[in-house]
Amino acid sequence: MLTGADANGPHKFVQLFFALVLLLILSGCGVSIPADPDGTLDSVRGGTLRVGAVPNGEFVEVSGPAGPRGAVGEEQVSGSEVDLVRGFADELGAGIEFYVAGEEELVRRFDDGSVHLVIGGLTDKTPWESDAGVTRPYAERVLGGQKRKLVMLVPPGENAFTSELERFLDASAAGAAR
Amino acid sequence: MRAMTGQQHQLPEDVRDKLARAVRLEWITLGYLVVTVTLVTMVMGNSQAMKTAWVEDLLSAVPQIAFLSALMYTRHRRNPKHPYGYHRATGVGHLVSGVTLAVVGAIMAYESASGLLKAEHPAIGTVQLLGHTVWLGWLMVAVMAVIAAPAVILGRLKAKAAGPLHNKLLYADADMAKADWTTNVASIIGVLGVGVGLWWLDYAAALAISAGILKDGAVNTRNAVLGLLDARATTYDNRKPDPMIGEIEAAVGQLPWVREAAARVRDMGMVFHIEVFVVPRGAVGLDQTEEALASVEETGWKAHDVVVVPVRELPDYLFDGAAREE
Repeated sequence: MLTGADANGPHKFVQLFFALVLLLILSGCGVSIPADPDGTLDSVRGGTLRVGAVPNGEFVEVSGPAGPRGAVGEEQVSGSEVDLVRGFADELGAGIEFYVAGEEELVRRFDDGSVHLVIGGLTDKTPWESDAGVTRPYAERVLGGQKRKLVMLVPPGENAFTSELERFLDASAAGAAR
Repeated sequence: MRAMTGQQHQLPEDVRDKLARAVRLEWITLGYLVVTVTLVTMVMGNSQAMKTAWVEDLLSAVPQIAFLSALMYTRHRRNPKHPYGYHRATGVGHLVSGVTLAVVGAIMAYESASGLLKAEHPAIGTVQLLGHTVWLGWLMVAVMAVIAAPAVILGRLKAKAAGPLHNKLLYADADMAKADWTTNVASIIGVLGVGVGLWWLDYAAALAISAGILKDGAVNTRNAVLGLLDARATTYDNRKPDPMIGEIEAAVGQLPWVREAAARVRDMGMVFHIEVFVVPRGAVGLDQTEEALASVEETGWKAHDVVVVPVRELPDYLFDGAAREE
């Protein structure tokens, strides 16, 4: 029983098939999957990782005054998440810069790429989910009597950078467990 | 007691078998749906295309549930309060399905379009799978590829069952199920698009899927409304007037005592309500009308509820080019 839907089915199928082939060709010519629409990972690799840091307990501790745009020296920051992102920068062969400011200011800086990453004991309950990318939780801590999952903020939709960071955090967690 | 009207209470054996088969298929589809929705929920992530495909999966349950619940109603015997029986339940189910699809399709289209305009880059990160960190997009593609085929097969089986049953709701459901794989392909393209950095492909795919939902909704709403407005009975795919109308007129018209006959046929959902106007050659008695009744019922099982009315002249509204409102 042939109907209209059947009649143009093969035709549609051919179109979609070509679209798929095109995508595969695209992915074949040097584009790795996933890719960053704005090329964050490529610009950081062998360059500089600019980290937005929110002072917060054991995760990010800051001493001394901040310079213009909240820039602080390497020796002024410490904490568990500071150590983590230093390891991430090393892995990418990148230098590292820290900027201390409030969450909203740092999330806004994703727009022009002046910050690649925001840390500061953020959890998966973060209200910035609509304006920033959120990594998969990398650890759990009891905060304020509640079990919370720790995350970092990344530029929204920079999937290669996000995946690279998540891979690094997974490996660190596995290393810590050993 | 059958004087001027007839009603076959029971559907014929083979039709009942087909109906039972259709019901079985619908239950299987609903069961399969639980599996696909669960799988897609697990990998949906932040992709608009995947979200839209997931919504479409959920929505596909609406016509199925409508069909199954309408069937429970149509089994009721007619009674003084419901002299036409309960067959219209199918039409109501059809209308509800159509409106639901149209509204949700419109909402999803709006969401995709606004995401596209705001240029929100969809974030698809990774998951940990057996100690490996895997890009979630690959899982989305895998799930969508795996669940496509069974849905299409079920759709084709349902389409086969729907035709002989003359059930427009079932036919619409089958028609949509047959096109289901295009949703899966579209969402795969959207996710791979995000993978290679073409963030807008995700929204474009979502938009295409929502447009499909919206179109299904609009077409089904239109057909359901036409049916409920007692439009002349059409074939189950709404393409042309049902051939049974001509067959009925011919069957009654060739009786020796009949000068001319015309039938008014409306679709009650799966069966017809038929009024045959007959201009007799002379006096007419019970024997003749019963003969006419029998000849109509022989045209097929869909002739479920038949009335034969002897008249002096045929109502002119049954003929094109005449629209005299009385």
